Amino acid sequence: MKAAVHSQAMHFQARAGVQVANKGLQKALEKAKPLFVGKRAKGIAGLAEDGLGFEELRSTCEAIRRRVVDDLDVWLEIFEERARASGAEVLWARDGDEIRRHVIDIARRHGVTKAVKSKSMLSEEARLNEALSAAGIRPVETDLGEYIIQLAGEAPSHIIAPAVHKTIGEVEALFAKEHGRPAGTRTSADIPAMAREARAVLRQHFLSAEMGISGANFLIAESGSAALVTNEGNGRMVTTLPRVHVVITGIEKIVPTLEDFATLMRLLPRSATGQSISNYVSLLTGTRGANETEGPEKTVFILVDNGRAALAGSDFSDMLRCIRCGACMNHCPVYFSLGGHAYGWVYPGPMGSVLTPLYTGIENALDLPHASTGCNQCGSVCPVNIPLPALMHRLREIQDERGLRPRHERFALRAWGWLAARPGLYRLLTRRAARYLRWLADDSGRIRVLGLAPGWSDGRDLPAPPGQTFHELYAARKRA
Amino acid sequence: MRLALYVTCLVDLMRPAIGFASLRLLEEAGCEVVVPPGQTCCGQPAWSAGNRPLARDLAKKAIAELEGYDYVVIPSGSCSDQIRNVYPQLLADDPAWAARAQAVAACSYELSCFLKDVLQAEVVPGEFAGSVTYHDSCKGLRGLGIKAQPRALLGKVRGLMLAEMPDCEECCGFGGAFAVRFGDVSTAIVDRKCEAIAAVGADAVVGGDLGCLLNIEGRLRRRGDNRTQVLHLAEVLAGLAPQ
Ligand code: SF4
Repeated sequence: MKAAVHSQAMHFQARAGVQVANKGLQKALEKAKPLFVGKRAKGIAGLAEDGLGFEELRSTCEAIRRRVVDDLDVWLEIFEERARASGAEVLWARDGDEIRRHVIDIARRHGVTKAVKSKSMLSEEARLNEALSAAGIRPVETDLGEYIIQLAGEAPSHIIAPAVHKTIGEVEALFAKEHGRPAGTRTSADIPAMAREARAVLRQHFLSAEMGISGANFLIAESGSAALVTNEGNGRMVTTLPRVHVVITGIEKIVPTLEDFATLMRLLPRSATGQSISNYVSLLTGTRGANETEGPEKTVFILVDNGRAALAGSDFSDMLRCIRCGACMNHCPVYFSLGGHAYGWVYPGPMGSVLTPLYTGIENALDLPHASTGCNQCGSVCPVNIPLPALMHRLREIQDERGLRPRHERFALRAWGWLAARPGLYRLLTRRAARYLRWLADDSGRIRVLGLAPGWSDGRDLPAPPGQTFHELYAARKRA
Repeated sequence: MRLALYVTCLVDLMRPAIGFASLRLLEEAGCEVVVPPGQTCCGQPAWSAGNRPLARDLAKKAIAELEGYDYVVIPSGSCSDQIRNVYPQLLADDPAWAARAQAVAACSYELSCFLKDVLQAEVVPGEFAGSVTYHDSCKGLRGLGIKAQPRALLGKVRGLMLAEMPDCEECCGFGGAFAVRFGDVSTAIVDRKCEAIAAVGADAVVGGDLGCLLNIEGRLRRRGDNRTQVLHLAEVLAGLAPQ
């Protein structure tokens, strides 16, 4: 499985450098960050109006998700049974290959030539669009952001705002080309008009597609339903208009009851977009009934492992609680310096820095667990209390245990550790180092070039030390 | 009250004045201060790098040096976090060390927490003619809940005006090895901090962690800001800030 995963995560450092220097991207991110942070803060503050406290509520949400993760197989069985009873088919997929095979198989059986899609990160894990196109089935993304990046031939750069890296000018150019009209100058005031334009195009696709493909925010065990949380209404179209509806989702997305779902919904939209509730919340159960006029004739759930089952009961089982709200990346200083593409695989930001190594191989994403300042801005906003920095830290330890760090780094650390355990020698060398650093400084007391740490001095000076260490001066003071 | 001052490796090498400022604050408050002579580094770099065996060795070394005092005081949020929060978990499964780690952790305090929460200091010797803005370093803020203490203490410095910068709780991009390993990303992050500092226009930025301060000062100077002072909380409180 792991060899088949197309990940660029090994090249994080190089890609990060390119993204930091990308002016258009930086502009787009600069705009988005305060919106995300401000809206969430408002949404969370709004909990008080309902007499709820964030810490209390997130402990409850954590407990709901823990209960599922601790007994995942049991809940999956219940879900499977209830979903089948309501008329849906339930398939299992071990990896991306199996997802692709299942979907293409279903499409062929039902004579599908076009599939409309609403957001699904699992479809990204499987690189489903590519496979569909190769099989002669046209995939059409209908979430506005996904639609934009499909036109651009790119991958999502954020799990809930896939086109957050695009400026309005870039979107206008894509639309003009795709919709066969001249490009104009656009400002944010034109966004509604641009959305209308895309909708008109998408409407034709909704009406002509034979298959709808969606993800699911949650699977509800007691009713065998998929819960879909969206803002654009495209999810409803995708899941009700075409004859066939395929839900692709991870096996960890289960919640036991509708009430649990309601509890999680208090925090999911607030954490993601600051809304107290998203514009649309759909519960999809089974297929169209005998005297119903809406809904698909065929509903298929594809429940995907792709590395998840192995996390249950491991050091990383906390990660299975994730409800994909995006708050961790929205509050990550690293994410907002780079955007999502630098991370190299499907999931960016702190949750991606944990998931990418786990799902694509620790040795294939060595930088990601280190691409964090340890600030814990992510962990402090996560609605299900995932200790993201601790998980990244555990990945660092595994890298070290397996000897996966570069040799010079391991050597330097060991040499420093050996020295730090020997105070006498340590004092001698730090005294030397203090003098050397003083000597490197210019008249204004700054070191501008640090040969040993160019990563530091390429971007900033090093304020020089006075030339004598504390312990040296303190010893002198005590003698005096 | 007999306490150990753990000056930290960075203060020892890069800015001894912070150590002397801490000494002054503690001694003037009437404490008997010992500087345990063998201290080097708390082991945080090893821990962050994922080298658990080395982090454990250095933790044991520090614990042995810091035992037997009423308190241990540390002028750094991140080193305090290491001693208070990491040591106990690092040595939890070592029967010979678990209790010792917990004992040292329980009596270890970051400087401003010690002054405010333990000593309940009402006066500080410092004077500062100007405005300062306080940067909340991440480990102190989110690991130890340090937020009100430094501000309350700064409020007692004669002449000092506190002006909050926007997003004072945002990370400065230091992150230890991160700043060297991902220098360009770190620079992009600290640029946002520099802009927040410029927006408030204070005479000085003050913080409780030297690593963050070196990062912020280094970037301010490189960007051409030669005016804004970058000071450690201890220096301001003790009246040892170069002005
Ligand atoms: S890790 Fe937490 S904050 Fe990040 S996407 Fe998952 S649930 Fe949201």
